[in-house]
Amino acid sequence: MSLNTMLKKLSVCSPWLFRINAGSCNGCDVELATTACIPRYDVERFGCRYCGSPRHADVVLITGPVTTRVRDRVLRVWEEIPEPKVTVAVGICPISGGVFREGYSIEGPLDKWIPVDVNVPGCPPRPQAILEGVVLAKSIWMKKLGLEG
Amino acid sequence: MASFLKILFRNVLQGPSTDPFPLGETFTPDRQRGRVKINPDLCMGCGMCKYSCAAGAIDLRPQQDGKGFIITVWRNSCCLCASCRHYCPTGAMTLTNDWHTTHAEEDKYNIVEQQKIDYVPCAQCGKLMRPLPRQLAEKLYAYNTEIDRELTRTLCPECRRMLDARRNAGALETASEQTQQQTGA
Repeated sequence: MSLNTMLKKLSVCSPWLFRINAGSCNGCDVELATTACIPRYDVERFGCRYCGSPRHADVVLITGPVTTRVRDRVLRVWEEIPEPKVTVAVGICPISGGVFREGYSIEGPLDKWIPVDVNVPGCPPRPQAILEGVVLAKSIWMKKLGLEG
Repeated sequence: MASFLKILFRNVLQGPSTDPFPLGETFTPDRQRGRVKINPDLCMGCGMCKYSCAAGAIDLRPQQDGKGFIITVWRNSCCLCASCRHYCPTGAMTLTNDWHTTHAEEDKYNIVEQQKIDYVPCAQCGKLMRPLPRQLAEKLYAYNTEIDRELTRTLCPECRRMLDARRNAGALETASEQTQQQTGA
């Protein structure tokens, strides 16, 4: 086993999460905070933790319909996350626009601008549903790294 | 000093409070609002759900051959407000407590609840129409013993109107008169 593969296998233990609020109503953000901060759900069991800088992130969780004002900033922050990254759309707003669809200031859905990998619908989704999404994102991330299984 | 020992002792007794999900089972309340379910026997296609849907997730369109209609709920747009359940006059729309909706991007447009509902010919004139659900007919005609619910629910609106007009004009025997005759004979 080469050193590169060994390092990759070690790094798989902890995908770091990064949150982007793309004009969300804060409902999904509260659920994301719940998923991480409340011991009942405890996303850190999977080695995940929220990081402050996009340059450290592996999995990016995006909430909210992409509004006109926030669109360019979302794209800029998303570009800063190193490849391979997994994009998770949390809530119905980034997936389809949800209740804000066809609004005058809505530029969404998110997959018009960014390739999305996992969708977690709900308004807001349950913390357990977000956990499911993170686990699915982790498996996709491993496939992208070429370390399946 | 002793207070933390109390907490420690309690925590040792209680065990971990972390939900084992997704490695184990989790708790789902019965009234959790999850996946939408449509009962094809009760849906009349009135469009009240489509009108009241906050997220515009419901689509109602006639079938291509005109022999019925198709009702579709795109769950990726459904905001789980349950206003369709609240306003549905027949109770055809329900929300189950299934919240496992996480999916990969390829399935984005497959996450739908769709029902294809066929029309039935009217018992009198044969025109295609949607029969009134039995439940609704019993509710509507609960205090009107003159009307035969089973016949009325299989008639199209025109035939129903004609039947009603004839009954009001006294040209038709009412159900109560029939029973009187039966008991008399």
